[in-house]
Amino acid sequence: MKPLTAGLCVLAAFTLAAAPAMSDAIFPYKVTTAVLPNGLKVIMIPMDAPGLVAYYSVVRTGSRDEVEPGRSGYAHFFEHMMFRGTKKYPGPVYDSIVTSIGASAIAYTSDDITAYHLNFAVEDLPKVIEIESDRFQNLNYDLQGFQTESGAIYGEYRKGVTNPFEVLDEKIRDLAFDVHTYKHTTIGFERDIKAMPEGYEYSLGFFRRFYRPENVVLLIVGDIKPDAVLKLVKKYYGPWQKGYQASDVKPEPPQTAERSGEVSYPGKTLPILDMGYKGDAFDPSNTDFVAAGVFGELAFGSTSDLYKKLYIKEQRVDALQASIPSQRDMPLFEIVARVKNADDIAPIRGEIEKTIAQFQSTPVDPQRLAGVKKRSRYEFLMSLDTPDRVAGHLAHTVAITGGIEALDAYYTTLAKITPDDVMRAAGKYFVPARRTTVVLKGVTQ
Amino acid sequence: MTTAQCIGAVIAAAISLMTPGEASVKTDNTVLLPVKNDPTICFRIWFKTGSQDDPAGKEGLAAITASMLTAASTTRHSYEQILDLLYPLAASYDATVSTEMTVIFGRVHRDNLDDYYPLFLEAMTSPAFTQQDLDRIKSLTLNYLENTLRYSSDEELGKAVLYNNIFAGTPYGHIPEGLVSSVKSITLDDVRSFYNRYYTKNNLVLGLGGGYDAALLARLKRDLAQLPAGTPDIVPPPKPAALKGFRATIVQKDAPATAISMGVPIDVLRGTKDWYALAIANSWLGEHRNSSSHLYQVIREERGLNYGDYSYIENFPGGGRRTVPPQNVCRRRQIFEIWIRPVPAEAGHFALRAALREYRHLVEKGLTKDQFSLTRSFLKKYVLNYAPTTMARLGYALDDRFYGIAGSHLAKFRSMMATLTLADVNGAIRRHLRYGDMSIAIVAKDAGRLREEIAADTPSPITYRTKKPDAVLAEDREIAVFPVQIAPDAISVVPVTEEFR
Repeated sequence: MKPLTAGLCVLAAFTLAAAPAMSDAIFPYKVTTAVLPNGLKVIMIPMDAPGLVAYYSVVRTGSRDEVEPGRSGYAHFFEHMMFRGTKKYPGPVYDSIVTSIGASAIAYTSDDITAYHLNFAVEDLPKVIEIESDRFQNLNYDLQGFQTESGAIYGEYRKGVTNPFEVLDEKIRDLAFDVHTYKHTTIGFERDIKAMPEGYEYSLGFFRRFYRPENVVLLIVGDIKPDAVLKLVKKYYGPWQKGYQASDVKPEPPQTAERSGEVSYPGKTLPILDMGYKGDAFDPSNTDFVAAGVFGELAFGSTSDLYKKLYIKEQRVDALQASIPSQRDMPLFEIVARVKNADDIAPIRGEIEKTIAQFQSTPVDPQRLAGVKKRSRYEFLMSLDTPDRVAGHLAHTVAITGGIEALDAYYTTLAKITPDDVMRAAGKYFVPARRTTVVLKGVTQ
Repeated sequence: MTTAQCIGAVIAAAISLMTPGEASVKTDNTVLLPVKNDPTICFRIWFKTGSQDDPAGKEGLAAITASMLTAASTTRHSYEQILDLLYPLAASYDATVSTEMTVIFGRVHRDNLDDYYPLFLEAMTSPAFTQQDLDRIKSLTLNYLENTLRYSSDEELGKAVLYNNIFAGTPYGHIPEGLVSSVKSITLDDVRSFYNRYYTKNNLVLGLGGGYDAALLARLKRDLAQLPAGTPDIVPPPKPAALKGFRATIVQKDAPATAISMGVPIDVLRGTKDWYALAIANSWLGEHRNSSSHLYQVIREERGLNYGDYSYIENFPGGGRRTVPPQNVCRRRQIFEIWIRPVPAEAGHFALRAALREYRHLVEKGLTKDQFSLTRSFLKKYVLNYAPTTMARLGYALDDRFYGIAGSHLAKFRSMMATLTLADVNGAIRRHLRYGDMSIAIVAKDAGRLREEIAADTPSPITYRTKKPDAVLAEDREIAVFPVQIAPDAISVVPVTEEFR
């Protein structure tokens, strides 16, 4: 049992804010947020989900924080290590507790987030809070366990490396970024993965620097009573000591000239054309950013003229889409086409550039714009049907902004986007100087 | 009702269905899952056909026909128009085609039902069957077979080869996507003929769930009755050739690692007492994507050889993409299957031995009392994760119809966890699992060498780049010489380009 005194101090000091759901806001549930004195934020969302709880521990650290040379892949590696247990609950004991309560315990890592989540019955919530708070404060693993886990990481790399899109992603990031850590994928460079068994000491520092209350947000959704949950959270997480040390993530300098490259895939695949443009970090009040997402849908989505021409009528590509990701720092806005004939890559690229030019000079049809807005709202609402899906949706926003307020802000901005905004965003981001183009081709025919 | 209330109601209704005793309403050709106040509506229209009905030489026809309904033009709208009309609704429809089932499914918000329903209906009742659509859909299928399956996911490749081998010579003997040559040969006439034969009003089960009203149900029944009449013959369940000893296929390709799948037909189906007993044994040995899996503990956690190791007593397509079982992939004949995700090439033979050694131990010794107790208490709650949404529940309700389960499989699953005994579980293991007669599919770079080593039962000692506990090293010495001798003529080496031809 952990000392209660710290938890009691917390009782008097925490802040609690409950925001009623607004009928005109996109997010339909009442949210209760509390921040403990040590900086741990807890977002609690009661839902009429009898007996069920989704519990997310969102660490606002991902592969973007891997600033040291040779250490790509450690955020993800560390995600694995978090299952190796503590002195109180060694890995096999943690596993058996999770098993005995029939929970689904999963974790994932990407550029900006490491998230740990469990779904379970509400009666097991106290136990889950106890074991989760324990491993976040007292993780303890030895060299052997660390080195064995590095083998599982390499296995995960080998599993993924046969996918041409992963090969492509690795290449375009490396080419597009000089300074920023988005230069590497989350799984990391293979050379760094190979060297992981020698990184034990570094990994301990990773825990000390990032697994701190100011850098973690708990998302607890389902059949819960916030007051009771908060008491338990304070009891178990209250003693957690501050100490977060933000990584010195260097901003990527502005790109001044177009870049291009090719990459070989050691297998057979249709060629893939990937055109990435330096975008903007997620900012729900940035009209240009939000309009860029609309542009991607209207110019290259399933209702676009280009999609209908190249995929349905002429059948020169078998996949075409744009990706405008929401990230903490400046990402690539990408347009990807899988091309049926290698000789057609340059003409397809020409078609994409022509489409961009058209959007830069001609406002979009207001009716199509309204369609994007309508779809976006219904898509979001229809996805909020279980505690896990609610928490899962919010986790990314929490990781990149620290809270969930940005969601409503994003949809408010989206509602105001005009055809001129879309035209301006196309002209701002989708220009040659921001572009990195990579073509992937298979080597086995 | 505000949006918040609507959504809250969805959750309440969906989750309340997870409790034992909830019942879907089933009549001869209707499965209903009403969810009060749910603002969304779920459709699942099950046509009793699948890849087992593909004519010889036309393997892949069932899947392509379904795509010609859900991703193609109708007589009223071009495919482009359909995409335009669906887009603002945030709704779509699609098809799943497995060996025995084809299900056209979709979900829409009640606000958008009037715009959505005619499109969903005409997909099934008024397909246009244009050459342009067929060309596009065949091209996607061929890309999957020739490129994606052969080159970009060795674990899916291994599983596909395993299933094809076990059921070779039967209607189950090809994956739903078919073969390169058969897909190339499929014509519009083939599609029309398949559609006319199997998409009849007598050959469907209407599944409807969520916040629909009686008027919608009546309308859907009336509209689906427009389909022509006809009761196609039912293909008898397959009788796969009996396996005697191990048989292995090693797929030769330039693979960065070695993927292993193995299995054997079993004669137990969901709904029977033995199935639930076997589910406990299987969960202990290899619960999918869960660290409670014993194989996962032995191969990944203790030795770090790969990303995961699991086992199955039901078909589980797309295992790399999902964490819980899919719905509507029912079969009258199942296999017991072990899936070893890619391991380093030099550890391939060792991993094969390690998995078979654990499997043999389970078959010969059964579960201990502690293993049994922990696993059944795990499953009793864990199955709640299998169907959190109305759409998934409706899928399970259709599956209940397929297997003839009165009530709900998931409710029965939970209640069986309270009543089954260790003797039941170990009895089911004895009755349904056996060691030694298995089909093995391996994807490897140096297939010839691996074949020689397996045939000669050559010891496969393993070395690690890092230190391991003495207990693990001691067990490694046993695994390295665990006998898995397979007769040379029972091991075939097949270049990857020969698979799915």
